[in-house]
Amino acid sequence: MSNEFNAKQRTTLIVIGVSIVVVCLCVILAAWAGQSVWDNLRDRSGITTGQNGWDSATAEVTIAVSPGMAATLAQLAEQFNAHAYKTPDDSLMLVRTVSVVPEKMVEQSLANPPFQAIAPDSSLWLNQLDRLWVEKQNEVEGEALIPIGNRRFGDPVRYAASPVVIAAWESVARDLGWPENDIGWKDIQQKATADTTFKWNHPSTGHASGLLATLAEFYAGAGLTRGLTEEAATAETTLAYVRAVEATVRFYGEGEDIVVQRLAAEGRNFLDAFVAQEQVVIAWNQAQPGERLVAIYPAEGTLWADHPLALLELGMPGEAPITDNQRRTYQAFVNYLTAAEVQKQLLSTGYRPADLDIRLDGTGSPFTGDAVDWRQPQTTLQIPATSVVEVVQNVWWYTKRPTNIYLVVDTSGSMEENDKIGLTRVALRSFVDQIRGDRDQVGLITFATNVNLVRPLQPLDDAGRTQLHTAIDQLIASGNTALIDGVWEAYNRLMTEGNPESINAIVVMTDGQENSSRQSLSALQRRIQQEQGMQIVIFTIAFGSDADEKLMRSMAEMGGGQYRRATETDIEDLYKIISTYF
Amino acid sequence: MERTRWIFIGILVVVLLIIGVSVVARIVTGGNAPEEAELILVAPDTITVRVLTALPVEPWVRNAAAAYNATNPTLDGVPIEVEITAMDGLTALGRWDRNDFGALGPDADPDNLTDAEKAALEDFPTVWIPDSRYLVELANASYKERLGRDVFLTDGEYRARPIAISLFTWGIYESRAAVLEQTFGGVSWNIIHDAAVAKGGWPELGGDPSWGFFKLVVPNPNKNAGGLAAMVAAAGEYYGRTNISVADFTDPQFQTWLRELMGSVTDFSSASAYTAEDFALFGYSVGDGGQLLESDLLQNMQGILTRWDDPLKIYYPQYVTWFEFPYTIWVGPETSALEKNTALEFQRFLLSEEQQQAALAYGLRPTNPNVPLDATPESLFVKWKDRGVELIVPRSDAMRNPDREVLLALLRWFELNVAN
Repeated sequence: MSNEFNAKQRTTLIVIGVSIVVVCLCVILAAWAGQSVWDNLRDRSGITTGQNGWDSATAEVTIAVSPGMAATLAQLAEQFNAHAYKTPDDSLMLVRTVSVVPEKMVEQSLANPPFQAIAPDSSLWLNQLDRLWVEKQNEVEGEALIPIGNRRFGDPVRYAASPVVIAAWESVARDLGWPENDIGWKDIQQKATADTTFKWNHPSTGHASGLLATLAEFYAGAGLTRGLTEEAATAETTLAYVRAVEATVRFYGEGEDIVVQRLAAEGRNFLDAFVAQEQVVIAWNQAQPGERLVAIYPAEGTLWADHPLALLELGMPGEAPITDNQRRTYQAFVNYLTAAEVQKQLLSTGYRPADLDIRLDGTGSPFTGDAVDWRQPQTTLQIPATSVVEVVQNVWWYTKRPTNIYLVVDTSGSMEENDKIGLTRVALRSFVDQIRGDRDQVGLITFATNVNLVRPLQPLDDAGRTQLHTAIDQLIASGNTALIDGVWEAYNRLMTEGNPESINAIVVMTDGQENSSRQSLSALQRRIQQEQGMQIVIFTIAFGSDADEKLMRSMAEMGGGQYRRATETDIEDLYKIISTYF
Repeated sequence: MERTRWIFIGILVVVLLIIGVSVVARIVTGGNAPEEAELILVAPDTITVRVLTALPVEPWVRNAAAAYNATNPTLDGVPIEVEITAMDGLTALGRWDRNDFGALGPDADPDNLTDAEKAALEDFPTVWIPDSRYLVELANASYKERLGRDVFLTDGEYRARPIAISLFTWGIYESRAAVLEQTFGGVSWNIIHDAAVAKGGWPELGGDPSWGFFKLVVPNPNKNAGGLAAMVAAAGEYYGRTNISVADFTDPQFQTWLRELMGSVTDFSSASAYTAEDFALFGYSVGDGGQLLESDLLQNMQGILTRWDDPLKIYYPQYVTWFEFPYTIWVGPETSALEKNTALEFQRFLLSEEQQQAALAYGLRPTNPNVPLDATPESLFVKWKDRGVELIVPRSDAMRNPDREVLLALLRWFELNVAN
């Protein structure tokens, strides 16, 4: 009995002992494993993925490119991608491009951008980014003792350059005295103010060429050719001069690429002259038959679109850093862009290559004719300090040609589908927020089964903006589609409420087919043709695939404006783009 | 019973031993992952020398690194690889000053770093080649405040040694230079100032009306150490001496003079770190002439001739600023002894006659006294002799390097009066 008990007790003790050993081993192993996991997590804590996060091994780089260069760089990226270069860890190097207006590029680059590199049309924008970034950093970290080297982007490289010129039809240029006489910004400005039939255009200050043209106006208005200060730029005499010149601008817009599209679509009489990069003149003459364009290099000086490309230094808290593979891809793409073969390709499209070994006057070069002159420009206009440039950009809103716009919006029942009405509310608010001129007025008309004047034209001061926002927020969808009646109402109202000195415009949007108007398209056309005194431009937006594209195109054509198609994803952007025309 | 008790005690001893050994192991390894508990020192697969180099010498150093790597060099049997990163000296100084490279703090234990801390040091520069020795002194001053010691040595085996030299010279487009010579009899800061303030621009000076106003080119001090050097040299000539103090820079009369001078720069915003390259790309449209590094001008001379209808002429100023590009090895614990010694190997390679001769093709003056400036047919000093380049620098006064206070005063003045 005692032996049996002892044997039982011994077995129990052995089992307990072995169990203790096993449990101890498990605890130790678990502790070790836990520590490893914890260390791993801690080590990785600096590499959190941001809102626009990407895989830590990705070799894909997205470059934000100015609209004017977007097509060219997209093609070069495609050529680069076709080589299927690989990183040392065998990842495929891939470059994508996305077209972004420089001003927006700068704004987005400050925090969590959806791209890793930027290619604006001018270093002016990099300078603005530098300034905004340092201001932002100083707010967080305090001012650095040695205030340099703290940049949002690495050293930029230039892959092409093109001076900003006044592009004019040869006959127009000869009338102005080309090629014998020097022609300046002031000559163009005087011509435009003296001759009401002279049609010219420059892009908005969101583009290098538009900014330069505006700076030139401020210089001329201040009676200076260098040393523009904030005081001189905001002097009443300067502002009065700029207002007078801006009143002659036919329309503003997205950029020179769109001007070229419209020239191609509407022909020789659309504009007499416009401000653009020299490359646009070469490209036009290469592609279009008929009268050629020539480049006038302004006598007072011009500015260079110097096309920098820079990798952003991302990795702020909550922001995914640039991966090693992305750096490799970026560097490989830079090498590709600056290689002789691609540089020659850029030359053939009209850009001045950054590779200084390539002659501009060599055989086959597009610079060999007299439409452009590789020895020019002789001088450049002085770019004022960043703060003065910003003042010019801001003050321009108060000097530019004033605008009267009626937003004509479809609120028929079909706008309920896919929450199109909700998206439209957001887009309209964005549009209203983009209009910043103190003399600009906006009104709102809706159409469904009937037409409804929601808000008459009113200035966009604080109160006016709030009232318009409130009205937009209350839009609801129901009923049929009296599209033509809506435009008719806006047209009549602009004829009485607008004025010839302003840009008068209608921006109309529909998602469906006309089915409820009392007026017809032909009646509208006759009405427009009858009016000679005041031009009203009509921009049309076909929202979704069911919209009456043909009708919208016709209305845009008869109104001298543009037709655009929108989807649920880009309706807001489209309204923003159209706002740049005002 | 007795045996059972012994077995039980034995098990307990084994358990305690396991726990004890685990605890000791964790203390020895600092609580890191098991693989870090290894006590055997393993030689690295490759020793990488990361060289942060100033822009004017970067093309030469990069090519030298490629030539060096191609020899499959080793140290103690370990393959060596030299990696080059280009960065302007002043920009690098700003980054050292903010400790952007992540040097360890005074309380850090280099032997007990976490994986993350080790990874952060993987790209730490082994060598810095700034434009000038004064930048090294300023970086040392910054780290002395932080760590209580120098991080770049000025004497001993790891001392900073110049690898090539160059000086600031005037580069003026020939058509414009001819007018200046005719009107003023030469080129100097004072003459450039007079040209810059001429209200009627070039026509008033006797030049072509299409040239507009006189346009000066100097590097942007926010992007290129040469910008600061240019302002110091201008001050030297203004005061007629080589040593410039903060008081000199804050003198209102001098500030007015300097502001007028800098007011003739057309565009600081588009100026990149590569000023001479900009000068070649945009030609006389952005600048009639300016004071730039001789080597940069020589390297871009061909580009200017190819792209523009007017060659460039070089003039030597009375008050000169030299850049000596000191090869400076980081002596802190962030890089290993093996890396430091390997860095010395590459330094010897750069100072070899072969590489010093190669520097001539980049317009750099060798520091090796055995290499004359016309030693090779590729020497830019030979190629551009007719553009005004001199083998022996004419008699001049060398400007003393600015101290930290002068540097900061200049940068602030530039920010307040020119950049913004």
